[in-house]
Amino acid sequence: MKWVDAVIQGLLLGGLYAQYAIGMSLMFGVMRIVNIAHGDLVVLLALIGISLAAAFGLGPGFIMVILIPVGALIGWGLQRGILNHLVGNDPLPSLIATFGLSLALQNLMLTIWQADTRSLDAGPLAIQSVSLAGIQVGVLPLGILAVAALLTWGMHVVLKTTRFGRALRASAADRDAATLSGIDTKVVYAKATAVAVAILGIAAVFQAARTTVSPADGGAQLIYAFEAVIIGGMGSIWGAFAGGLILGVAQVVGSRIDPGWGILIGHLVFLLVLAWRPQGIMSRR
Amino acid sequence: MSASALLTARSLCAGYGDFQALFSIDFDIHPGEVVALIGANGAGKSTLLKTFVGLVTIRDGALDFCGIDVSKTPAHVLVSRGLAMVPEGRRLFRSMTVEDNLRVAADHAGEPAAGSSPWTLQRLYDLFPILAERRAQAVENLSGGQQQMVAIGRALMTQPKLLLCDEISLGLAPKVIAEIYDMLPVIRQAGTAILLVEQDVSLASRNSDRVYCMLEGRITLTGKSSEVTREEITQAYFGVKHEVG
Repeated sequence: MKWVDAVIQGLLLGGLYAQYAIGMSLMFGVMRIVNIAHGDLVVLLALIGISLAAAFGLGPGFIMVILIPVGALIGWGLQRGILNHLVGNDPLPSLIATFGLSLALQNLMLTIWQADTRSLDAGPLAIQSVSLAGIQVGVLPLGILAVAALLTWGMHVVLKTTRFGRALRASAADRDAATLSGIDTKVVYAKATAVAVAILGIAAVFQAARTTVSPADGGAQLIYAFEAVIIGGMGSIWGAFAGGLILGVAQVVGSRIDPGWGILIGHLVFLLVLAWRPQGIMSRR
Repeated sequence: MSASALLTARSLCAGYGDFQALFSIDFDIHPGEVVALIGANGAGKSTLLKTFVGLVTIRDGALDFCGIDVSKTPAHVLVSRGLAMVPEGRRLFRSMTVEDNLRVAADHAGEPAAGSSPWTLQRLYDLFPILAERRAQAVENLSGGQQQMVAIGRALMTQPKLLLCDEISLGLAPKVIAEIYDMLPVIRQAGTAILLVEQDVSLASRNSDRVYCMLEGRITLTGKSSEVTREEITQAYFGVKHEVG
C-alpha cells in the first residue's frame, strides 16, 4: 500500500514538473533553443508574485492572473531582445547567452530579495485533502496535476490545429522555407517564447504555494524540465507531460526506498530512458 | 524602367559577406511570360533568385516588383505581394504532413493576382492528384517527384504573380520531370509568370519564351528561346575565353 501511495504522490509531484516541462518542450523540443535561464524565470516570477501578495494582500488566484501577462512580456522581450539573434542550427550560442542570463538573474534576485526562502499562502487549499481509494491526496497537488494536463492538452491542440501552431512548427523545421511561405519567423518565435514563459507564470504560483522559493533554486527546476522533455521526446508536448510524471514517480519512489536517494533515482531513471530509447518515449521515430 | 514589367533588376549587385556573387545584373520579366535562366554550377543562378526574393542582401543597383522598389523589403512581405519561390532542394517542412505543408503557405498568402481565380487546396489536388491521396502523410515519406509537387504546390498556395523555380528537375527521373513540366502551362494560364532556373539547356529552352544565360555572376546572353542558337548558348554558358584550341 505504501508503494501505491508513493506512486500517487509521485504523479502529483510530476504534475508540477510537467508544468515546467511544457514551456521547455516548446522552446527546446520545438524551437531547439536551449534556455538555461528557464528555472530562474520560474523563481523570478514566483518572487514577484510573493512580493505582490505581501504588498497588496492579494490571493494566489489573483497573483496568477497578474503573472501570466508579466511572464508573456518577459518571454517576448527575451526572444526579441536576445534569442532571435542567436537562432540557428547551432544550439551553442543560445546556451551561452542564457547561461549568462541565468547568472545575472540569480544575482539580481539575491540583491533584491536576499537568500531567504519564501512561499505563497494558498490559504485552506494548501492543507485540504481528499481520500482516494484509501489514500490521502492533497487538493493543491491534485489541482496542479489537473492544470498541467489542461495546459498540455491546450498546447498540443494549438500546435496541431491552429495557424500559429503550424507557423511555429514550420519555422522550427526550416526557417528560410518558412520565410518563403510568408511567415515572419521573428514574430512567431517571440510569440512562442511569450507563451512558454507565461505558462511559467502559472507554474511559479503553484511552486510557491506548494513549497518554498529562493533565488538559487532555478538550477534544479531547469534540470527536471530538460529531463522531462528528453524522456518524453523532442517536439511532443504530451511526451513532456509524461516525462514530468515519470520523473516525479521515480523521485518519490526513490525517496521511499531511502530518503537520500529520491533525486538520484530520478536522474538514474532519466539515464536509463536515454540509454534504452534515446529519441524519447513518445517520439514516432 | 518598363512600367508593365512584373520584376525589374537594373545593375543589381549582391553577395555573401565579403564575397560578391552578382555583378551588375539587368533583368526583366513580364506578366504571363515564362523565362529561363541557365548557366553552369556556381554561375550565380540561385543567388540571383534568392536576391529577388529577399534572402540575399542587395549591395547596389535597383530591384522593382510591380513597379515598387523592393530592395529593402523583407522576404516574408514580398511573398504576400505575390513573389514566390520553389527553393533549390525543395526545403519542405519535415515531420509535417503534405496538407500541413500546403496550409502553412495558404495561411500567409496575399491577394490573388487580378483577374485570376485563387489557388485552393482542392484546385491543387486536382492538379496533383497523387498529393490528395497522400495528404495526411509526413512529407519525408514521399518520393522525390511527389516532394517536388508539394514544393510547387506550397509556393502556389501563396497566390503568386511570379513563381521562381530553382532547379525543379534536380534528382528526378526523366519521366517525372516531364510530368512536372507538363504542369507549367496550367500554372501559366492561371495568370502566374514563371522564372525557370535549370542546368539542362534544352529542357529550359523548350519550356520558355525567353532565356537568360549566366556565367560567373554576370548575364552573358539574353534572347528569345526560339531564336537563340546553339553556338551562342555554348559561348555564353562556358565563356568564350574558356575555348580550347
